Amino acid sequence: MKKVLIIGSGIAGLSCAIECAGRGMEVTLISPFPSERSQSVLAAGGINACLDHCQEGDSKESHIEDTLKGGCNIAGKEAVSGLCRDASNIINRLEKLGTVFSTEPNGRISVRAFGGQSYKRTCYCGASTGKQIVTALVMEARRLEGLGLITRRLWMDFYSALIKDGVCYGAILYNEAHVSFEIARADYVVIATGGQNALFGKTTGSTLCDGYVTGKLFMQGVELKNLEFIQYHPTTIETAQKKMLISEAVRGEGGRLYYEESGKRVYFMEELYGERGNLMPRDVISRCMDSTGKDIFLDISFLGKEEIIKRLPEVYDLCLKYRGIDISKDSIPVSPSVHFFMGGIAVKNDHETNIANLYAIGECASIYHGANRLGGNSLLAAIYSAKVASAAIENSVLSRTDEDFTTDLNEARAVLRTLQGSKSPFPVWYIRDMLAENMREDLGIVREEGRIKKGIEDVSYYLSIADKIHYDNSVLAYFNYSLTGILTLAKATLMCALYREESRGAHFRSDYPETKEAMAAATIISYDNGNFRTYFDLEGKYER
Amino acid sequence: MNVRILRQRSPFSDPYWEEFFYEDKENQTVAGMLDDLNYKDDLKTIAGESAPRIQWECSCLQGMCGACAMVINHRPALACETFLRDIKGDTVILEPLKKFPTVSDLVVDRSIIQENLKNANTYIEEYSADKSSDFNQMYSAAKCLKCGLCLEVCPNYGKGETFFGAAFANDCYLIASRSLSQKDTIKESYQSHFAKGCSKALSCVDICPMKIPTLTSISRMNR
Repeated sequence: MKKVLIIGSGIAGLSCAIECAGRGMEVTLISPFPSERSQSVLAAGGINACLDHCQEGDSKESHIEDTLKGGCNIAGKEAVSGLCRDASNIINRLEKLGTVFSTEPNGRISVRAFGGQSYKRTCYCGASTGKQIVTALVMEARRLEGLGLITRRLWMDFYSALIKDGVCYGAILYNEAHVSFEIARADYVVIATGGQNALFGKTTGSTLCDGYVTGKLFMQGVELKNLEFIQYHPTTIETAQKKMLISEAVRGEGGRLYYEESGKRVYFMEELYGERGNLMPRDVISRCMDSTGKDIFLDISFLGKEEIIKRLPEVYDLCLKYRGIDISKDSIPVSPSVHFFMGGIAVKNDHETNIANLYAIGECASIYHGANRLGGNSLLAAIYSAKVASAAIENSVLSRTDEDFTTDLNEARAVLRTLQGSKSPFPVWYIRDMLAENMREDLGIVREEGRIKKGIEDVSYYLSIADKIHYDNSVLAYFNYSLTGILTLAKATLMCALYREESRGAHFRSDYPETKEAMAAATIISYDNGNFRTYFDLEGKYER
Repeated sequence: MNVRILRQRSPFSDPYWEEFFYEDKENQTVAGMLDDLNYKDDLKTIAGESAPRIQWECSCLQGMCGACAMVINHRPALACETFLRDIKGDTVILEPLKKFPTVSDLVVDRSIIQENLKNANTYIEEYSADKSSDFNQMYSAAKCLKCGLCLEVCPNYGKGETFFGAAFANDCYLIASRSLSQKDTIKESYQSHFAKGCSKALSCVDICPMKIPTLTSISRMNR
């Protein structure tokens, strides 16, 4: 029986655990906290699929075309085609697992309009699609746990992968309950740890997604891809504790963006792009908002209280609770904020990385979305990628030698001891705060060479002191040892942004505003003993 | 504002009280306040002594994940949606949930919730929707955060040995509505692990951060 170790238990990790267990594999699911705490529960709007009862004129080809176009033509056609063609099967499967989709009186799953799409094809569960899917997947995983096919291990953190000669043999984990490192051997390791939110401090997502695993794997020789493509969601609302997402569903239901000038409303997106202006891709809207230099508002009040509460209850509650705004009467003050990472671990179409037997799925893997992701495609990709990876693992032929990783385990212990012995007064928070400030300033919606270079210089300095900072006994060991990986990933992200001397999708360079045909490829970055190497994947080494 | 916190360094050490001062901000929540206190270079108590950072669990910071459940001024609640403006008096008192073992400070081990659901076979197995099922009730039930607030306030819930509480009752309803084949099995399980022990105090309904109409789940399951 093949042994699979899955790191991360959000929608991607859960789906992969279910798929692998269903294919007769022995699965261990690792995460510090249960799935209900994952960022997946925040996914509000929906999941795209061209169903049998699709809008007239819609087709799977149209979904493929919209996805490729939204990604500014650098996503692999074959990969995207697989994603979109399987979407309706995924919806059916989710329904069979008990997901409570919103339906029409005739029982068919409801669909709504989403940005960058030619037709209404976003299936949804009210405004809590992610949460409803998590609930269904947790139940199915629970059944398989009962059968002994999935073993969940909570309070466990990833430290590093066990890699020798380009092959992965498992991982070193940190057991927070036992306060010690341990080796977890596996035939295959699947990474499903989400995006690198912590690079930017608090984003619309979970504080648990920090990018450490991606950064650490990069330092161990795993290639990363497209890190410069970071999606700024156009509509978020500022609250005292974070910027909260105002779902694209509000614009899908007719919400209009505007600013005020001389006492009059200027519906700038409609003026620029016509009737569907409010549903342009997220990167376009965020840039347009940024360029107005004005306070932007989103109006949905015309829908009336009854309809708003029926169709967008979570948005109504959120605005009232955190800002005291009744959206059936007043407009929502919105601004763009970091929301999704198109870049991450470079994977081939079967989701294997450049290290044999090491796979990456969900947001931490970079595939399907190119330079910009369409709303409704991330939940789809999380589940589809899990399916593809588990099929690839099932079909792969395992031939390997027994390797000894005692040295790696001792090294991990030594790293922690060195950190614990530091005399510096500066805690991890201090560096993480400064990093977030740098990244927000130097890698905003509009970028340019000078700022990016300054960012690289600052992050390089933080890296030079990262192993000398104060070890904080009052926070998890993970929090202390994860800093170097996070900083390394931040530096790689800035390097990718510097390398791409053009503007494409979510990456806009004021010093290179044009899109260049010669750069219509993914950026790949690799690491070797402190040296970063960046190149364009013009030959299709990864995604095709 | 004064902040009194019941602290505990590890599962095996003794709890102790510590008090801090916090300059209130407009629309600030208890979660935002804890973040602010922890982000200081050096956390000092009201007496001016250095204190370790305050341990608490958080993920979404917007009432959607249930991580930050704790007891705030003697009432269990989510820290990220409890506003300081609503605190009566000038002191906010924070304690960990008491029905679960403390890991450290305000972090507790709630794995018993998942364990009980697993042991009671709370899953769908074969999907066959009950056509008469109520979308709103299923949608609400599926939003359960498994945060443990309903168990904390329930007079019948102890440590989860036999009575599994409202979180279980709502999952039972969801399964009975989505799986005709599991309906009888889950009803039996519901009888032994919920119906027998529930005295209908309904404190779970008032406390639920997702406003799940648990009473409806109960009445449908009792039919």
